[in-house]
Amino acid sequence: MKKYAIINCILLMTALVWSSCKKETPVDEDGLLITARAECYVSNFELLGADFQTVRSKAPVIDTVACTIQQEVLFGTDLKNLWPQFTLVTDAKLDPKITGKVDFSDLANPKKYTVVSGNRQVRKTYTVIITVQK
Amino acid sequence: MTGKHFSYIPLFFASLLLMAACTKNKDYSVPTPKNELQNDCIKRSLGPNIVGLNIEFAYAIAIPASKGKLVSAQVVASIPGLQIKAGDLPNSATYLQDSSFYTNGSGVDVPVGVGTRSVTKEGVNVTTFTKDTNAVTLRYFYRIPEEARGKTVKFTFSATSSNGETVTYEMGPYTIAKMDMKLNLIPTNNDKCYLSIADMALYNATEAAANPGKIDLVYLYRSLSVQFGHALVAPAAPKDYLPGVTLPANVNRDTKLSKAWNVQDFHLAGLKYGTTFVDDPDFEKLDMSTSPDFALGLKEEAGVWVETGDGKYRAYIFINKVDNTGQSARISIKRYTLK
Repeated sequence: MKKYAIINCILLMTALVWSSCKKETPVDEDGLLITARAECYVSNFELLGADFQTVRSKAPVIDTVACTIQQEVLFGTDLKNLWPQFTLVTDAKLDPKITGKVDFSDLANPKKYTVVSGNRQVRKTYTVIITVQK
Repeated sequence: MTGKHFSYIPLFFASLLLMAACTKNKDYSVPTPKNELQNDCIKRSLGPNIVGLNIEFAYAIAIPASKGKLVSAQVVASIPGLQIKAGDLPNSATYLQDSSFYTNGSGVDVPVGVGTRSVTKEGVNVTTFTKDTNAVTLRYFYRIPEEARGKTVKFTFSATSSNGETVTYEMGPYTIAKMDMKLNLIPTNNDKCYLSIADMALYNATEAAANPGKIDLVYLYRSLSVQFGHALVAPAAPKDYLPGVTLPANVNRDTKLSKAWNVQDFHLAGLKYGTTFVDDPDFEKLDMSTSPDFALGLKEEAGVWVETGDGKYRAYIFINKVDNTGQSARISIKRYTLK
C-alpha cells in the first residue's frame, strides 16, 4: 500500500511540475514560443536561385495592406528551383513552411504564404507576384 | 527496494572516484623502441582518385644502427601504374622516389639522394639504397592508369635490411573514380563555342555541323540591358536565350543545366583551393529532373551541373576565368558516364 502511495505522489508531482512549466512558457505545435504580439507582416523578401545566389533584379515591393510582394527577377532565372526567404516581424511565423526548392514557374497563379502573428491570433496571406526582367 | 540498498550508493560513488583518481596518477614510462626493422606508411593525396592523376604515399622505414642498414624498398600495385613512355618527363609516371627529404630553415623540403632511381616492372617499383642509411622516408607516386577506372587498387610496401629482415605494409584498397577530367578549355564567342560533353571538346560552327549529335551546349557572351553575360545554353533552348545565334544544321540537343556556387573543385580550380572535391557519388545523386536548359550570367569561380539530353553523361563545368573584353572564358570539366 505504501509503495502505491509513493508512486501516486511522484506522478502527481510530475503532473504539477509539467503543468506549471506549460503555463509559464506556452509553445505552439512547432515548439515555438507563443507571445502577446499581434503584429503580423513581412518586412523583407529574398529570392535565391539554385546556386543560392540572389535572383532579384531590384528590391521587392511589399504592400502590407494589400498583402502582396512584387518581385522582379533576373532574365534567365530558373523559376522552378527557387528558395524564397521571408523576413517577418518579431515572433511571427510562416505557413506553409519553406522546406526546399519552390516552383514559381506558374506566373499566372502566384504562390501564397500566410504570416501568423506571435500570439497566433492574426493571420495574413501574402501573394508573391514574380515578374521576369525583360 | 529497501532502505538498506540505498546505503550502498555512496560506497559505489566512492569506489568510482577512487578509480578515477588512480588512473590519473598512473606513472608515465618512455616506450621501449622495437629493436628490429620497422615500417609505416601514410597516403598523402586527398580527394577522389582520377585516372591520369597521382595517388601519393610516404613510406617510412627504419632499423637500429646496431642491427644493420637498409638494402632496398619496393611497392607492388595490384593494378600496375602508368608507365613512362618515350618523351615523357621523368616524374610523369609511377615511381618510388630515390630521395629522402628534410625541411630546411626556410621550410623548403630538401632532397637527399639515397638510392637508385626506382625500376618499374609489372607493377613493382624497387629502389636499392646506395648510401648507408638506417632510416628513410620515400615517396611513392602511383599514376592511375586507364585499366583501373572504376576498380579498386591495393598497394604492398615492403623493405629489406642487410641482416635479412623484411617488413611489409599493406595500403588500400582505394576506389578509382569512374569520372573523366578535362582542364582549361577556352570557349570563344561566335567561334569555338560549341561544347561536346561526349568528347569534352570545343568546336566551331563547321566542326559542329560535322558532329551535330555530339554538341550539347553553346557558349555565348552577350552584353545586353538584362543579365546575360557569359552563358551556356542548350541548342534546343528557347531562342530568347540564344540571341544572334544561328545554329549549324541538326545541332538541336536539349541539355539540362543547374548553376552552382561554392563548388570550387580542387582538381578543376587548380591549387588555389583546399578540400572541395566533386566525386562520383555527387554525380550519382544529382537530381536534374526540373533543371532548365540554359545558364546565364555565369561568373568566375561559379560552376554548372550538366546532364546531357540522352542521359548518357553528367558533368560539372567549373568557370576558371571569364574575359568580357576578349568575349571568352576558361572552363574545366569533370564528366561521369551514367550509361
